[in-house]
Amino acid sequence: MIAREDRLPPRLRRSIFAVTMVALAYVILAPLTSIDAAQQAGLPLLTDKVWFRIVTTVLMFVVLASAWNIVGGLTGYASFGNIAFFGLGAYTVGALVANRGWPFGLALLVAPIVPALFALVIGLPLLRLRGHYFAVATLGVGVATGEVVNNVGPLGASTGLFLPIVRSDLLFFYLMLAAAGLAVLTTWVILRTRFGYGLLAIRENEEAAAVIGVNTNFYKVAAFCIAAALSGIAGGIFAQWNSFINQELVFAVSDNVQMILMAVLGGAGTALGPVAGAVVLELIIQTLAGGGSGSVYSQIGLGILLAVCVIFIPRGVIDFFGGRSKLSLRYFRQTLRETSA
Amino acid sequence: MSLLALSDVSKRFGGVNALADVSFAVEQGDVLGIIGPNGAGKTTLLNCISGLYHLDTGDIRWESASIRGLAPHRIARLGIGRTFQIVRPFPSMTVRENTAMGALFGRPGARLQPGAALSEADTVLDVVGLGEKRHYPVLRLTVPDRKRLEVARALAMRPRLLLLDEVMAGLNQVEIEQALEMVRRVRDSGVTIVLIEHVMKVIVGVCKRALVLNFGRILVEGPPADVLKDRRVIEAYLGQRYAREQERKET
Repeated sequence: MIAREDRLPPRLRRSIFAVTMVALAYVILAPLTSIDAAQQAGLPLLTDKVWFRIVTTVLMFVVLASAWNIVGGLTGYASFGNIAFFGLGAYTVGALVANRGWPFGLALLVAPIVPALFALVIGLPLLRLRGHYFAVATLGVGVATGEVVNNVGPLGASTGLFLPIVRSDLLFFYLMLAAAGLAVLTTWVILRTRFGYGLLAIRENEEAAAVIGVNTNFYKVAAFCIAAALSGIAGGIFAQWNSFINQELVFAVSDNVQMILMAVLGGAGTALGPVAGAVVLELIIQTLAGGGSGSVYSQIGLGILLAVCVIFIPRGVIDFFGGRSKLSLRYFRQTLRETSA
Repeated sequence: MSLLALSDVSKRFGGVNALADVSFAVEQGDVLGIIGPNGAGKTTLLNCISGLYHLDTGDIRWESASIRGLAPHRIARLGIGRTFQIVRPFPSMTVRENTAMGALFGRPGARLQPGAALSEADTVLDVVGLGEKRHYPVLRLTVPDRKRLEVARALAMRPRLLLLDEVMAGLNQVEIEQALEMVRRVRDSGVTIVLIEHVMKVIVGVCKRALVLNFGRILVEGPPADVLKDRRVIEAYLGQRYAREQERKET
């Protein structure tokens, strides 16, 4: 009843649906042209190494932004520590595959469990904090977790972990696609159940939620654990895909800022907002960066973009599609007043 | 056996005794009015009952079982609904959705699904007189309507005890009459009510008993008409000099 997408006018919804379906069909089917059989049949090659790298990265951020959205968007707790869940998932797979010789598939099943347990343990004390206290505390936990991992000998310490290389762009692409699908589906289901309404109530007014019977602590921690499990899956896939992980790669605070930016830009609190944000933003980042010195400028650009988005479009671009708000100077003046009050 | 019984409840904030040894009982079917000057501890009392504050000493019993230290959501599901003096709607939801949240989470027994909660909300909204505005976003509601919504959300929980925190404050005469009518309907439907109010007309109009708090202590308790004439109450509200002058006039 509350999901914003439901409020789109039907015509707009139909056209958005059509465009999404076409894009989705392309993304799902195009990689198949890289199979040997397809090549021998003379089909044009639609996807090369770069395509796979970019699209798999985009999908990874779809997972991360959607997971962040469950805590930050639905429950209203802006976490700067979600990257720790991604990192723990990556290191779970890394340690099991590189050190213990587990098969990747089996290790990936454990990848969501470790971060979820971690979320359970840190969630109980952290989710008592609100607003910027919560943001700063989670930032601290995120950074600290990375530093601890960086100093544990069996986890490769500062050298990192090397996993046996698996050469299959197709495998990692479809795995990440499945994870992204799972993340979006999870959000979609949450938004339509009692649990989701509980989270929204907590976001909108936590004390009012408590006195009408919402078990606020349980709901908040559960949301945190679900987000952690999803991020952990993405981390686990990344570890094997990249076949090398270290602290800088999987505990980067800048990645945490990116997932927030994606969710906020696309529309926090909706199922599809973070997806739109992740696709658009990651494509921009990939274009801007292109490796080398470009990444510095893209970092600066992202920081500025985050500030502008939070101030001027706090409800995300999805706000313009509901027929409630129009993109105009007046809108920006009003949101500026709202956010600077 | 009383529905709700407080015994020697105390609550301190730093050096301030917000509540000091407060004891009283609410019987099934009662309408108890709590009055007192600003800062007397009225809202603190409700916060203690609904579990938002922890008691320093004393005990609160619900049908003879202690509810001290229970989390607010557990207390809510026992059948204690409340409103907030400064209204706390869920701003992104409509009136109907706000009300449905009470039915969705506050029911003691069976769990409702969202659809059933929404139709439940419609019934309650008619009781409080918001039926025609059910699809409004809450931000479009006027102050009196927002207060009604607070009551609707609490009623959707089907509470046995309803705690109302100044639902009439800020309303004009006509609106107060309407709100009074609403409270009477709720009372007649068998809900026990404890209400905090500054509007004396309300206390006299619906309450069976009134209780006066001053500096965290119970000053007087009794039938509303007697309580309002009590010299100590007049002193608390208007000062000793005024109370003396009033007495001189009467004699």
